[in-house]
Amino acid sequence: MSKIIAVHSYKGGTGKTLLSVNLAATFAQKGKNVCLFDLDFRAPSLFATLKAGDGICYLNDYLNGTCEIDKVLVDFSGQIPGSGKFFVGLANPSTEAIRDMSAKDRKWEMRALSRLLALRNALLNEKGFDYIVFDTSPGLQYSSINAIVTADLVVVATTSDRSDVDGTSRMLRELYNLFEKKSGLVINKVLDAASKAKRDEMYEKAKTIYQVPLLGVVPCFCEVLRAEGSFIFVRDKPDHPFTKILHEMTRKIEANELN
Amino acid sequence: MNNYYCVVRLNKYTKVTSTAYTHNTRGTLLNNEEALGKKPLHVLEKIRENLERLNDKMEVMIELQKHGKKDAQPLSDAPLDVMTLLSMPDHLRKTAMTICRCGRATAEEISEQTSRARAVESAYLNQLVIMGYLKKERKGRKAYFYADRDNQT
Repeated sequence: MSKIIAVHSYKGGTGKTLLSVNLAATFAQKGKNVCLFDLDFRAPSLFATLKAGDGICYLNDYLNGTCEIDKVLVDFSGQIPGSGKFFVGLANPSTEAIRDMSAKDRKWEMRALSRLLALRNALLNEKGFDYIVFDTSPGLQYSSINAIVTADLVVVATTSDRSDVDGTSRMLRELYNLFEKKSGLVINKVLDAASKAKRDEMYEKAKTIYQVPLLGVVPCFCEVLRAEGSFIFVRDKPDHPFTKILHEMTRKIEANELN
Repeated sequence: MNNYYCVVRLNKYTKVTSTAYTHNTRGTLLNNEEALGKKPLHVLEKIRENLERLNDKMEVMIELQKHGKKDAQPLSDAPLDVMTLLSMPDHLRKTAMTICRCGRATAEEISEQTSRARAVESAYLNQLVIMGYLKKERKGRKAYFYADRDNQT
């Protein structure tokens, strides 16, 4: 069963952060205990999306070995209706921290991988969390590959952009397959997604080009763009089709329908 | 007269048979009877332990021969990071990833997770030790493998 989920993509701007936040929030709405981590150290974004306050420890500190995971986790449970816990581990958005993280060597990355792997026991087994969601950097970044190695399931966000299609299919073959990772594809920003013909085309594309199960097709919603990433969409728009798509995705993950 | 023998299957290429005989010279016979009579299990354990040490050494030698580096010494402290994992051949990556997840494990424990034979995992683990990615530590009969994260600065 998939307990640790890494949301990744080949290119930037495919909707990883939107998917990560809303996947985690949907699980929490369903009564699950969830931890959401920002592993995009080059361009931290959860800090702004969730309007977190200052004076906290960051995930950077945990990976540096200077602070325990308990001090990193910020409790956002109050912001999500439902009985599940919703905790978030943020990446440090300061320029100094971004510069520091981009200059880490291979030995540091190796220790960071072991600290990420340790989260399975610390959070899932000891603290009773049901799911861990990693929001990652696009492409072949150390932090992203560390997250992929740690995860049980990689949710791959992609668009219909030609370079994205090429890069994503190569990444699926040469990265996820080498690590023998279970993957689920989310095709985002799809035009005319309401038509059955378009949906069938997407399923066919997932099967032939990407050769991975399709987790969801997300139409290009103006309402999502209008939100400017400033709130948790599934909480604020419970009846929106986007929220329903997210509920279906979490159902598929819970029911292990991605084999 | 007591005859004890152990067969240890090293891998698909090698098989070694070791026989511990008692001898018919009077002095040796008495010593063996004493040892085997009082502590036969202990003696067998000792034989097994020595055979396993021999097994490990032979696996290392086989790996060195395969790569044509007969006088090669283990490399020191090569980090086992994700980019290294990506560049490894498939068979070694599986073993290396499993040890990353477990932290510290025996060949037996790794083989339970990879569903490959213990001897195969033992050979791959020893190869990773030679390549400098893993460290090996003996505790009694067991050999533990681990990536030495703390001593790498």
